Amino acid sequence: MEPELAVALPAAGAVVTAALRPRPRAALLVGGALGAAGLAAILLAAPGLTSDQLGVTLSISAMNRTLLLAAAGSLALVVAFAPPRTERASLLTWGLAGIAGMAAIAVAPDLDMVILLTLAIALLHAALGGRRGLAARLRAPALAVALLGVGLVFARVEGSPLLARFAAVGLAAGLAAALGTLPYIHEFDPEELTAASPIAWIAFLGPILGLAIVTRARELVPEAAAAFGAMLIGLGLLNILWGSLASWLTEKGTSAWHYSFMADWGLVLCAFGIQVADGRAAAVLILYGILLGRLPLYLWSRQSLRERVQNDRPINLLAAAMLAGSAPFAGFAARVFLLRGATQLYWPLALVIAIGLLLWLPPSLRLGRSLGWPRGKLAVGAGIALALSVAIGIYPQPLLSLAGL
Amino acid sequence: MIVLADGRRGLALGIGLIAVGLAVLAWTTGMWLGGALLLAGGSVSIVALLRTGRQDWGLMPAGSTPRLILAAVGAVVSLWLAASVTTGPGAPLRFAVIAVLGLMAARLLQGHSAVAVLAAAAGLALALAGASALGPNDAGLAPYLLAAVIAAGATFLPVPEKRGA
Repeated sequence: MEPELAVALPAAGAVVTAALRPRPRAALLVGGALGAAGLAAILLAAPGLTSDQLGVTLSISAMNRTLLLAAAGSLALVVAFAPPRTERASLLTWGLAGIAGMAAIAVAPDLDMVILLTLAIALLHAALGGRRGLAARLRAPALAVALLGVGLVFARVEGSPLLARFAAVGLAAGLAAALGTLPYIHEFDPEELTAASPIAWIAFLGPILGLAIVTRARELVPEAAAAFGAMLIGLGLLNILWGSLASWLTEKGTSAWHYSFMADWGLVLCAFGIQVADGRAAAVLILYGILLGRLPLYLWSRQSLRERVQNDRPINLLAAAMLAGSAPFAGFAARVFLLRGATQLYWPLALVIAIGLLLWLPPSLRLGRSLGWPRGKLAVGAGIALALSVAIGIYPQPLLSLAGL
Repeated sequence: MIVLADGRRGLALGIGLIAVGLAVLAWTTGMWLGGALLLAGGSVSIVALLRTGRQDWGLMPAGSTPRLILAAVGAVVSLWLAASVTTGPGAPLRFAVIAVLGLMAARLLQGHSAVAVLAAAAGLALALAGASALGPNDAGLAPYLLAAVIAAGATFLPVPEKRGA
């Protein structure tokens, strides 16, 4: 019953929190309790075991479970240490809705359901409102759904062996469009609310969705798995280059953060493309870094970005080091795994990735400065994010064991 | 119709045609309840489109020649893919699914009106449910049910309407 509860409890939490919005304290209390119960259901769900209580076979993999826990941790961090003037109940509502959607994707029995769930999430996300028009908000995720659907159809029909490669193209293109990475960067408005902006796709929903698509695509087109992996590596390198350079050189601070997520996804795509255990370990660690490091720091920097405040205090330098993937933070361990995996596959690839990694330094310094001078709750939140990253970086094995690696 | 129309009546007719076509194809594969769900989802979507907003057809407004060409080329390419490139039984379903997915993707890319984009999303949901019948294993009713809910719910989303002078 755990997979069903992992979806139902956060969904119920989102509904109750929305209903209790006029009473924020009660909303936070009830939503937090239901969210924590959902987290327990995720934690207790045994990887690989199936549940058939609703007439649909549901099961959760170890990697999915680990990333769901990270997403829940990220939401808890962001709600508990929300920036001043942020409506925490509203943040919790949309976060819990996202967790319910991600849990549904994680436990879905096949790619058909994953794609349909993605469309449902895209419609709900578009309905959130925001500065962009509804058509602009829905366009990229719905296009991703169409591309994934075409890939799915090509994977299933009989005919020329080339069809499997077309399927791989559709699935890789759909994945990029869903995440909002090159060549389908989502339209971004720096002034838009984070929950309604493309950051929700690239930083919060993306990790689970990406993992679901990549693992199921490999099962669906095993004969084109090598081509699919090569496409992921190609897209990954493109995003590393574009994301890091744009994050460094773009004028707007908020856009710089958006591009930095793209650069991190470039590393994840490369790691997914390298079909060895080290690649998977690198992907899990980088996704952890996105969920528990980059996303909370982005939210906490919004205020200082608006006020154009920049600082060079030790906390800013530490944040910059974490974002750049320096030792002893989690990003460093991830990069070591990635380079080791790339060397096993094809050593010149490791060389290219290593050169690409140098591009993280200038934008990370810029992003670290944009955090301003976090005080009070924000300083505590930033401290926790940094400490978590150091702990994972120094000893990543417990996390990798939880992910079945 | 969804590619060629801008008005709510035209979009509703497009959704209706997709729902009826895919429901009939589901019935031919023995998915009686699945087909009925698609029909129900499509019907609710049509009602939602016709219930509110400015009621007009908006069929092929000025400057829509590229859309007409896109629809014709999309249909021919889908037919070629379904009947010639791919083999095995279920060619009509393959044609319907590829054509709807391709054309809805095109509509999403070139559409600036929220109603048209939502109608395209509803069409996508129906086509994806149809695609589940192409799988080697019986997908059950879940994809049909979810697609029907999405198609029905999509057109209920609040949409800011342009007002006349």
